[in-house]
Amino acid sequence: MRRTLLIDAEKCTGCRLCELVCSFQHYKVFNPRRSRITVIRDEEKGVFIPMTCLQCEDPPCMKTCPTHAIYRDENGAIRIDYEKCIGCKLCIMYCPFGGISIDPVTMKVIKCDLCGGDPECVKYCPKGAIQYVRVDEVGVKKRIEGAKKIHERIKVIMGGES
Amino acid sequence: MYKGYAGRILRVDLTSRSVKVEPLPDGLALNYLGGTGFASRILWDEVNADTDPLSPENVLIIATGPVNGTAFPPSGRYMMASKSPLTGIWSESHVGGHLGPELKYAGYDMIVVKGRSSEPVYLMIDDDRVEVRDAKNIWGKDTRETVKTLWDELGDRSFKIACIGPAGENLVKISSVISEMGRAAARTGIGAVWGSKRLKAITVRGSRDIEVADPDGFMQLVKESIRMCTEEFFGKAAQDTLGKYGTPCLVEMLNSIGRLPTKNHWTGVFDKASLIGGEAIRSRYRFAQAPCMACVIQCGYISYIRHGKYAGTITKGPEYESIFALGSNCLVSDIEAIIHMNMLCNLYGLDTISTGKTLSWAMECYEHGLLTKDDLDGTELRWGDVEAMIKLIEKIARRDGVGDILAEGAKRASEKIGRGTEKYVIHVKGMEVSGQDPRAHKSAGLSLAIAVRGADHLRALSSIEELGFTQIVADRYGEDKADALSDRLSEEYKGFLIKDIEDLYAITDSLIVCKYGTMWPPIYYFDHFAKLIPLLTGMKEYGDVSYVRLVAERISNLRRCFNVREGITRRDENLPKRFTEEPMPHGPAKGHVCNLEPMLREYYQYRRWDYETGLPYRETLEELGLKDVADELEAMGRVKRREG
Repeated sequence: MRRTLLIDAEKCTGCRLCELVCSFQHYKVFNPRRSRITVIRDEEKGVFIPMTCLQCEDPPCMKTCPTHAIYRDENGAIRIDYEKCIGCKLCIMYCPFGGISIDPVTMKVIKCDLCGGDPECVKYCPKGAIQYVRVDEVGVKKRIEGAKKIHERIKVIMGGES
Repeated sequence: MYKGYAGRILRVDLTSRSVKVEPLPDGLALNYLGGTGFASRILWDEVNADTDPLSPENVLIIATGPVNGTAFPPSGRYMMASKSPLTGIWSESHVGGHLGPELKYAGYDMIVVKGRSSEPVYLMIDDDRVEVRDAKNIWGKDTRETVKTLWDELGDRSFKIACIGPAGENLVKISSVISEMGRAAARTGIGAVWGSKRLKAITVRGSRDIEVADPDGFMQLVKESIRMCTEEFFGKAAQDTLGKYGTPCLVEMLNSIGRLPTKNHWTGVFDKASLIGGEAIRSRYRFAQAPCMACVIQCGYISYIRHGKYAGTITKGPEYESIFALGSNCLVSDIEAIIHMNMLCNLYGLDTISTGKTLSWAMECYEHGLLTKDDLDGTELRWGDVEAMIKLIEKIARRDGVGDILAEGAKRASEKIGRGTEKYVIHVKGMEVSGQDPRAHKSAGLSLAIAVRGADHLRALSSIEELGFTQIVADRYGEDKADALSDRLSEEYKGFLIKDIEDLYAITDSLIVCKYGTMWPPIYYFDHFAKLIPLLTGMKEYGDVSYVRLVAERISNLRRCFNVREGITRRDENLPKRFTEEPMPHGPAKGHVCNLEPMLREYYQYRRWDYETGLPYRETLEELGLKDVADELEAMGRVKRREG
């Protein structure tokens, strides 16, 4: 079964360690602008939302690519074939989430490749905000997380330990 | 060029509004490492004893170190240094967040600012594009509005922004620089240096790589370091305290050892500490965690007040030091008021510690009738009177009425007013004392007395005996010294200890790594940095612990020499009489005073400086590669030779 990233923005604290280990994994350097995951941050209110490619089941980027350079690999990651990519950026324009970006050093189109099936961001996130789960379990996992929150609320309301 | 560094220095002359990029000299990296080390060399070379801190000739340094911008934890930091308008001596102030790393990604290890613009300006850095831009529309705005306005102007919220508020603009000598809407580089009045240069803000965005010398070896060490910060004994302790509560966890911890400064450092026990501590904040006001870049300890957090008089208050922190200074120190037990005053200080760009200590000085003077309602523009400044405090905070920021005097900091204000008010100023070398009490933690007295920027808890404060880490003491310094060193109420071996800690932090502040990870919990020591620096930079020399210590001593000495050149002698390395003569009235340290003299004598012995005069020995400086410094001091008659 394919696996995908399950991101819980409520757990994210905006430290951006995911961005650093992503750039290190792909280039052996530290550069958040070359990361395939970016935490969108509201520093004032403390709202942090990690954004990356969601490896859609029906990817608009793949459909829109004029040279058919976008494909799905054996891990389920939507990948770019740089032999075919002409750098037109249509994929960036059609992605509804900003999952694809331009590497400012190479000026090539880059996106999350799930690190070949062992994503670094998942391993390093100090808050466990990024999980790598079977696609068919995404919904169940979210329900469990939701139940945990309700459970916490009940404990608070019932005067138990929070 | 060594790895880890961005490899370039940005020089800015605000008088001519010109900028210049220079390569980072390898020698500077090899001899001074980064951050405070770089600053020590540049300020020694480019500032002199005649430089007025608020003149165009003063130099403002905004620096990073080789580790910033990498994944090594906890290192989301940068620092500023200058000659202090508050004290007239060495000034440095460190701050966390994401701006320091961003400066490296833009391609600069350090910014060196000189001159004075005729009009308010801000510095816009976007990789190679660097512009001195007009700031008339943001001059006068608070630190939050400034960031929002600049984001709109720049069209991208990923710009990291540091700025001053009205206090810095008005040359308030206890003003701060606020980074990213709430992270403060506050001490020594660094905000007034920005104000004097009419530099309102810097905005930074970058897209360059930070390379490391041995990527795989470095990442292996990062993994090990993350484990040390999150798992093992100290890592778990950090998660359960700093990670869960942030620095407010210290309020109750320090109160329990009788070291929570209360009522202008009169006592070390605050009976209402639990009302202003970690749990009080966490249960009702802690809104989000907001750590520095790539941090795994994550003490940073945001408070929000939903209801009541201060509804709508939102602020980073408050941190322990702000809670003590505006809280127990002024007998304020209303945590909402403390959170609100913390926000006000951040918005105006005021140092919460010096502001709180200046207010508590005025409160004690008011109590004793040395200051009256008439002196204070009609304010009855009683202990714990929050309304009066808020009024005065605003007056200080605007230099309005009595605020114009208080804006000078407690020491200068007392000199202006006279009448015996000097007695209640709790300061060292002109800077107000931070949240420690040397009567309950003896080595803290020495740390405060010898610190290069005046009463300072971040250059040499030791936590290893303060919180009873006996095993660490034994591992580092040997079983024979462990018992005496581990006793926080004993002065024995503390001169030796504080010299060692000051050197350790000189490296910490140069790399730049956070004090949470070195000071408390004491996770990293010289040996860890000797592993880290070669993997990071490729400078093999640092692989030898003795070389790391040599650089540390060089930096410690050069910063002290900066102060010697300004006329600092041993007489200035002293404590307020409150700590040395007034016995602690309450708590576990009841009856104790701080016996500074033997610790100080021992410190000078290990520092290899002359105790009688407080001057360095030429031989010491020469051994550290500072012959040119010894020569310059000798020409002023401020260096000693060892006799016979």
